[in-house]
Amino acid sequence: MSGKFSHDDDSVVVIVGSGAGGGTLAHALAKRGINSVVLEAGKRYRMEDIENDEWEMFKKISWLDERITAGPRQLTETFPNLPAWIVKGVGGSTIHWAGVALRFQPHEFRLHSEAGDIAGANLLDWPISYEELEPYYVQAERHMGVTGESTGMPYHQWNNNFKVLAEGAKRVGYQKLRAGPMAINTQAYDDRPQCMQAGFCMQGCRFGAKWSTMYTDIPRAEASGHCEVRPNAMALQIEHDANGRATGVVYADGEGNLQRQKARVVCVAGNSIESPRLLLNSHSSLFPDGLANSSGQVGRNYMTHATACVFGVMPKPVHMHRGTTFAGIISDEARLDRSRGFVGGYTLEVMSLGVPFFAKFMDPSNGGWGRDITSALDKYDHLSGVWICGEDLPMEDNGITLHDTRKDQYGLPVPIVYKGDHPNDEVLRRHGQAQATKCYEAVGAERTFLVPDFPTSHNVGTNRMSARAADGVVNKWGQTHDIDNLFVSDGSQFTTSGAENPTLTIVALALRQAEHIAERMQRREL
Amino acid sequence: MKPDPRATILSRRRFLTLSGQGALLAGGLALSAGAWLPRWALAEPDLASRLLRMGRDIYPHEAIADRYYLEPLQPLLEEQREMIDAGLAALDRRARATHGRDYVAIEDERERVALLREIEDGEFFQSVRNTLVVGLYDNPELWEPHFGYEGSSWEKGGYLNRGFNDLVIDWL
Repeated sequence: MSGKFSHDDDSVVVIVGSGAGGGTLAHALAKRGINSVVLEAGKRYRMEDIENDEWEMFKKISWLDERITAGPRQLTETFPNLPAWIVKGVGGSTIHWAGVALRFQPHEFRLHSEAGDIAGANLLDWPISYEELEPYYVQAERHMGVTGESTGMPYHQWNNNFKVLAEGAKRVGYQKLRAGPMAINTQAYDDRPQCMQAGFCMQGCRFGAKWSTMYTDIPRAEASGHCEVRPNAMALQIEHDANGRATGVVYADGEGNLQRQKARVVCVAGNSIESPRLLLNSHSSLFPDGLANSSGQVGRNYMTHATACVFGVMPKPVHMHRGTTFAGIISDEARLDRSRGFVGGYTLEVMSLGVPFFAKFMDPSNGGWGRDITSALDKYDHLSGVWICGEDLPMEDNGITLHDTRKDQYGLPVPIVYKGDHPNDEVLRRHGQAQATKCYEAVGAERTFLVPDFPTSHNVGTNRMSARAADGVVNKWGQTHDIDNLFVSDGSQFTTSGAENPTLTIVALALRQAEHIAERMQRREL
Repeated sequence: MKPDPRATILSRRRFLTLSGQGALLAGGLALSAGAWLPRWALAEPDLASRLLRMGRDIYPHEAIADRYYLEPLQPLLEEQREMIDAGLAALDRRARATHGRDYVAIEDERERVALLREIEDGEFFQSVRNTLVVGLYDNPELWEPHFGYEGSSWEKGGYLNRGFNDLVIDWL
C-alpha cells in the first residue's frame, strides 16, 4: 500500500529520482521506518511494457527532453540533442543498465595522491576510502543479487560473444577474465527468477532477473507504507528558508500544475545532468549561484568514462545477440600503471548490439555509410564486440550549464552538456582500442573496426564529494557542504570515474547514506 | 505487410505504361517489376528509381529487395517532398556537370559514390540516410533471413536452452 503524504507534511524526506540512488535510498529509509516522497519525472512502467526491441524501448523509456550536446567531441555532431542515454521512468536508468557490478579498486579512491597533479585535470581524492565503503559494497551486492562471493550465486556461463573475446584475450596474455560480477541472477534470488539469456539487457529485463529499482526497491518501499512515489513529477526548484535550510521541492505534476512538497530533508538523485541542473535552477537571493554551490563546483567535473568499442568479424557465426548484453569482463588493464603512458585504467567488457543499434552506432558520422558499413552488417552474425570502460579525468570545464534563452516544456532552461577529452583520456582510449583489436586478431578475426562512443549512460561527477568545502559540493556522506539537510544521492557525487561501471558504487553510497540520515534524524540533527 | 493485390495490379499497369522510361535508366537501376513495391513507387517510378539508386549506394546490400529500401522512404516523401525533389535535382545537376548525365545513369558505382560523398553533409543526403538507417535495419522481416539476427527472444524463453553458449571455436 502506498503511503499518502500531504504536501504540507514537513516530516518527510523528499527524494528526487527513483533510480540506483533514489530508489535504493527510499527503500533503505523505509526499512528504518523513515517516510519519503519520491518525485520521479518519468512515468511508471509495467513488466509488460518491456519489449525485446531496441528502437521501441529507446523511444519508450529514454530521457528525450531537450538537451544540448557541446564540446570538442564527435557526439556534438552526431547526437546534438542526446548527450546521454539514460531513462525517464520509475526505476530510472536501472531499467537500462546492463548489470555489470564491479567495485571500484582501492587506489581509485585516492587517484590524486597516487598520480599527483596532472595538468588540465581537476583531480581530487575521494573523502572516503575503499575500506570505509567495502562493507556497503557487500551489502549492495547482497541487496542487488550480484553473482559472486557476497551472494554465493555462481557467475554466468560464458556466452558466445565472451568466448570469442576471452580466447583472444588469453592469447594476448590476459588472465583476469570473468563472466561477472553481474547483478543478474544465475539462480532464483530475492523473489526474482534466474536469467534466461534473452539479451536486450539495456532495453529492460522482461523477466526481472537483472536488478532494477523498478521492480525491487520501489514497490517494496511503497508496500512498507513509508514511501510514496509520484510519477510524472518533475522537480523544478528546491526551496529554502531564511537560514538557508531546505524546506521543500516545487515540482510540476502530470497535469503541469505546480505543486510544493515540504520536506525535512531533500535528497537529489536525478542523474548527473538533472541533479546539478536542479541545484543551479534553485538559485535565490541567498544563493545566487545555485544551491550548495559556494565552491562553484556544481555542474563541473562531468565525467562519462573514456570509451570506445571495437568489433571483430569472426570466421564463423558467433550470434553475439544471444545472452546477456555485457557478458564478460577483462580486468588486466584496470590497474594503475603509468608505464602505459596514461593515468588510471580501463576495463574491457564484451558487449553486443542488435542489428538496429549496430547499424545506427557503427559510424553515426555523416560519412558513416557505404560498403565499409554494409559489408560489416552483412556479417552481423559473425561479429563480436567489446566496450572500453576507462578512467575519465575530471576537468573543471566539462559540465552542465544552463542555456540563456532556450526553455524546456517545464519552462526550465535547457541544459548544455559540455565535454572534451583530457589528453590522458585519448591515450587511454587508443591503448584500449589497440589492445582490444589485438585480442580479436589473436582469435582470428577477419576484420576489426572501431566504433565511436555513443550517447553515454555513465554520467558522473557533477556534484562531487570532497573533504574540503572549497573543492566540491558534498561531503563523505553525500551531504552538501553548504546546506545541512540537502543531500546528493546519485553518481553525481563521484569524485573520480574509476574504470568500473558506476551503479554498484551508487547503490553502496546510497545504502551508506540511508544509514547516516537515519542516525542523524534519530539524534535530531536533521 | 501484405500489399493489397488489386491495388498492386492496377498500379503495376500504370507502372508498365511508364516503364519505357524506366528502361532508359538502365545504366542505373530499373525497378524490379515483379516485386511488391509501395504504391508511391509504382505511381512515380522515376522518383523511385532515383531514390532506390541512392539508397543502394548508401547501404548496398545486393540480396535485399527493392521494396525494403523504398517503403521506409514514404513518410519522408510525405513530409519533405520539396526538399527531396530539390536534393535530387541538385544531385543530377552535379552529375551532369561532371559526367554529362544524370546520377542514375552513371554506371560506375565509385563515381556515383564520389558524387554522394560531396553532398553527404547536406540535409537532403542525411535525411535519406537517417531514414534508411532505421527503416532498413529496423525491419524484422530482414533480420533473420539477411543478418542472422533473431530479434525478440523473451517469448521463446531467451537463449538459455537455445544456443547462447553453443559456439565452439574450431577455426584456430
